[in-house]
Amino acid sequence: MLKSELNDVAFVAKIFINDVEKERYLKSINEMLDYVKILLELDINNLEPTIHVTKLRNIWREDVVKKCSNEVINQILNAAPEKEGNFYKIRKVIES
Amino acid sequence: MSRKLKINITELCSKICSGEIKCTNIIKSCFNNIKKIDVIVKAFLRLNEECSLVKAMQVDNKVKCETSKYGSLEGIPIAIKDNIMIKNETMTSASKYLENYISPYDATVIEKLRRAGAIFIGKTNMDEFAMGGSTETSAYQKTLNPWNTEYIPGGSSGGSAAAVSSGMVPLALGSDTGGSVRQPASFCGVVGYKASYGLISRYGVCALASSFDQIGTFSKTVKEAALLASIISGKDYRDPICEPLEQINYVQNIDLNILKMVKIGVPKQIFDYKIDNEINECFNMALNKLRLEGTNIIEIDIPSYKYVPALYKVIMCAEVSANIATFDGIRYGYKTSNGTNIDDEYSKSRAESLGYEVKKRILFGTYILSAANYYKYYCHAQKVRTLFMNQIATAYEKCDFIFSPSTLQMPVKIGDKLSEECDIFLMAANIAGLPGITIPYSFSNSGIPVGMHFMGSHLSDKKLFQVANAFEKISGFDIDKYPNI
Repeated sequence: MLKSELNDVAFVAKIFINDVEKERYLKSINEMLDYVKILLELDINNLEPTIHVTKLRNIWREDVVKKCSNEVINQILNAAPEKEGNFYKIRKVIES
Repeated sequence: MSRKLKINITELCSKICSGEIKCTNIIKSCFNNIKKIDVIVKAFLRLNEECSLVKAMQVDNKVKCETSKYGSLEGIPIAIKDNIMIKNETMTSASKYLENYISPYDATVIEKLRRAGAIFIGKTNMDEFAMGGSTETSAYQKTLNPWNTEYIPGGSSGGSAAAVSSGMVPLALGSDTGGSVRQPASFCGVVGYKASYGLISRYGVCALASSFDQIGTFSKTVKEAALLASIISGKDYRDPICEPLEQINYVQNIDLNILKMVKIGVPKQIFDYKIDNEINECFNMALNKLRLEGTNIIEIDIPSYKYVPALYKVIMCAEVSANIATFDGIRYGYKTSNGTNIDDEYSKSRAESLGYEVKKRILFGTYILSAANYYKYYCHAQKVRTLFMNQIATAYEKCDFIFSPSTLQMPVKIGDKLSEECDIFLMAANIAGLPGITIPYSFSNSGIPVGMHFMGSHLSDKKLFQVANAFEKISGFDIDKYPNI
């Protein structure tokens, strides 16, 4: 992994890292990449990937809006760092 | 709970329900023990003394009424890993990100334990978001191994293992993604069980790597692990991977004959690794004991074993990067006060509140999932997973259970690192979704326990308990022995 790739990855993963930390992460991640390279020695293109070991089933329910108690609404909203009324308060997503 | 009370949980429960033993006394003595021992061991992040005593009094009052109905864990104290939600209680996953998070609902396993009458006495320490094998990545404290406090208790569920091992509590829950229940159980000398994938609902449990995660139990005996499994397993539509199975009673009487009837496989790849001498000696002794009981032990060949730690790392980190994306500092959790715009706010909230190990895994997982690497690493690792599962399936055509030492290494001193391969036999169970159980076998020269591991085929949990029960009986491990702490 190159430093520029780490910058890109940190941006999409939304993790701020300073220059000192960058060196440490680069070293660790490159060690991890070296470690997992052993997998590449296998020629297994004929195999299907295993995403889950059991069969995932869709669990259906009627698409009906249920009433939620005020207690639950308050509990969920109170967990938010910032709120206004019954909404989460966040910064502007689209800058003008 | 008095550590000298040498009776099992079922007997204790019936004595509480008959009024012979007061639940209040059990809970008081449990907290007295914790106050003495946990100053040193640091297994608990939070205790729930007041509520536990109120619940104990309710149990004692219930006993006075002749028509009362009781659960199978009525009045029994249990510790819960801090990544499992208990309604209205703090759940941090040992992360600063969730420092002030209050669980809005009960996890399914908590609902079930509540119905069975268990008393939740506290939340236990762990590696941050269960990422680690030593409990040292916790943002709050380091838990020590009760048998020798210079050593790690293992992890990520190190707090639960240490709490049961030191006799502070008889039962505990943990979660196991790559050995996170069974490895600390082995290091602390208790029984650690991880269910088949899909047997126990993970609803209300903070996810690490969803295709590996399962709930697990800590107890002094196999029978108690089976009792816990009987209570917390069963279908739950709120966890989509939960098997549509009714609850099964896993508790069985010990029958040594089972050892004559099963075929135990030992992967020949075990001997490719450097196993600590003391573990190796115990393993050979255990094999001899099984042979003496008439067990048919055969060598099995699983050539792809050597890829297990690498494929685990790739898939686990990829799933971590997706799961931890939910922590954005908006709906709950830590929010920075230094953000200049929305992106900066996300990035700083996560950077300031997550530990190094967590961030490293997110970054690695994100890299692995990027367009340039997706097929090379992630998809390829999933194909290696298929290869490994095919070879495991072939092995189970020849044997009923796979037997190995629980770990390649004894626990290291606090601050030292375990090898990447240490938990290879445990990870194998998560990769293939299989049930596994570690049973304490003996002690090393430094006084630390050594555990042995049985792994069964998918949903063979009942038979696994049967074999583990019998093995526990022949192991000769003194379950009434507690650390001198």
